[in-house]
Amino acid sequence: MLKITKLTKIYGPGRPALYEFDLAIDEPGLTAIIGPSGAGKSTLLRCINRLVEPTSGSIELDGVEITKLKGAALRDVRRRIGMIFQSFNLIDRLTVMENVLSGRLGYVSFWQALTRRFPQEDIDRAYYLLERVGLAHYVNKRADALSGGERQRVGVARALMQDPKIILADEPTASLDPKTSIQIMGFLKELSEEFSIPVLVNLHNVELARRYSRRVVGLQGGRKVFDGNPGALTEDVLDAIYGTADRDPEGVLTLESSTAAPSGVAG
Amino acid sequence: MSSAATPPVGRPPSGRLWHKPAAIKNPWLRWGLIAAVVAYAYWAYTFMPINWDRVAAGLPRAARIINTAFPPDFARWQLLYSGVLESIQMALVATLLGVALSVVVAVMAARNIAPVVIYWFGRAIIVLARSLHPVIVAIIFVKAVGFGPLAGILTLTVYSVGFVGKLLAEAIEEIDRGQLEAIVSTGAGFAKTVLYGVFPQVLPRLVGLSIYQTDSNLRASAIVGIAGAGGIGNTLSSAFRRFDYDFAFAILLVIIGLILVSEAVSGRIRSRLT
Repeated sequence: MLKITKLTKIYGPGRPALYEFDLAIDEPGLTAIIGPSGAGKSTLLRCINRLVEPTSGSIELDGVEITKLKGAALRDVRRRIGMIFQSFNLIDRLTVMENVLSGRLGYVSFWQALTRRFPQEDIDRAYYLLERVGLAHYVNKRADALSGGERQRVGVARALMQDPKIILADEPTASLDPKTSIQIMGFLKELSEEFSIPVLVNLHNVELARRYSRRVVGLQGGRKVFDGNPGALTEDVLDAIYGTADRDPEGVLTLESSTAAPSGVAG
Repeated sequence: MSSAATPPVGRPPSGRLWHKPAAIKNPWLRWGLIAAVVAYAYWAYTFMPINWDRVAAGLPRAARIINTAFPPDFARWQLLYSGVLESIQMALVATLLGVALSVVVAVMAARNIAPVVIYWFGRAIIVLARSLHPVIVAIIFVKAVGFGPLAGILTLTVYSVGFVGKLLAEAIEEIDRGQLEAIVSTGAGFAKTVLYGVFPQVLPRLVGLSIYQTDSNLRASAIVGIAGAGGIGNTLSSAFRRFDYDFAFAILLVIIGLILVSEAVSGRIRSRLT
């Protein structure tokens, strides 16, 4: 399905952001990418949908080499790759429904997009996804009127609207409180299984990676230093990824103490 | 009784002085600049052909004009009415055309979304539209398409593109990049990306600019008319040419009233936009 070979990204002189990175993903479920800030996690995801141009290496999605695609061919691949952002990146002034339907922009004509006349099956799918993430009662609410957790649920629905072959989630919970984070990770895992879509998710929270992913990839200084199941994430492995001295203690979530966090879901 | 100037008991006057420090510290530079300004003023005065006889003759003439202007004459109100109506129509049509063109030009002239070549082309259009004063543009269009409101509409359209295009392009350059990336990620092409990723972010600004420009065009429509480009300005300049000062005064009153009303309305609407 997704096959990355010797992917390298060099922004400027100095250490490459990503160096000869290899990864193959074949089954649905969550694959967590963990590593300290600046390890190359965001660069990796952004190379896959070409928001960032890779310097060298190859990325194949269903056998199609995508690092050299241009114009319409690039857009055709992009519409099959869903993306979820740390800062949600919803269109603030548009309604929840418009935001979800914007996931279909790669499929509909300009005229349909302008007049908001999306095909009936798109509207049905949008309603289904909004029900699935519990926001069907908010269809005509403006996106900027929602809480952080609600916005990210719209972000998840928008990504799934694309009928994606794979979903990239770049720190989807970093702007959320612990309880909402768990809720979003739960939605991602469930929907990934329901639609049989692999999800590649950057996390800086090791506990969330342990709990929700079936596979963990550790990045350090742009290189892969770990690839295995979450059970194999021992203290020694974490030291290899984060370094002994500067492991961020706040990156580790204590689930027991997080229940008091406000839910943020309005009436 | 001790006066307020007496220092506190036990403290003799210190004799310390304080002056505000000079704006220019170097005394040579300071006095040199003052001398230069005085010298220039004297030179300019001797150079200017001020003829005090003509000033003296002009004052009673001005008084006579003002006298004949009173009271303002609204007898030819049909002429006044049709002139004002033409001005308003010119302003509205030009705003509509100008804003529509501005949207296209602004997208071209926004550095963050336009390719470099298109960007410079868009900037060039804006600079060109801004570089000439509406009166000069009006003179050119009157030569090109003849007297009347068409020249006025074209002039005000150019004027609108210069202003709205520039400020809208700047608004586009300040949008949140994340929302743009989200739309690009869905596989949308350029036009659909602008539609969803850019316009919603700048729409309130566009509405505000359009309302301001309507007000501004109304004001400018009175001026370009003097160059022969139709509207109430035309009526005004022909009244002056025929020494109908009382009618001209009536026209001026109507223009002032019109602009006050349009400014009040546009201010009210713009203050309610968010």
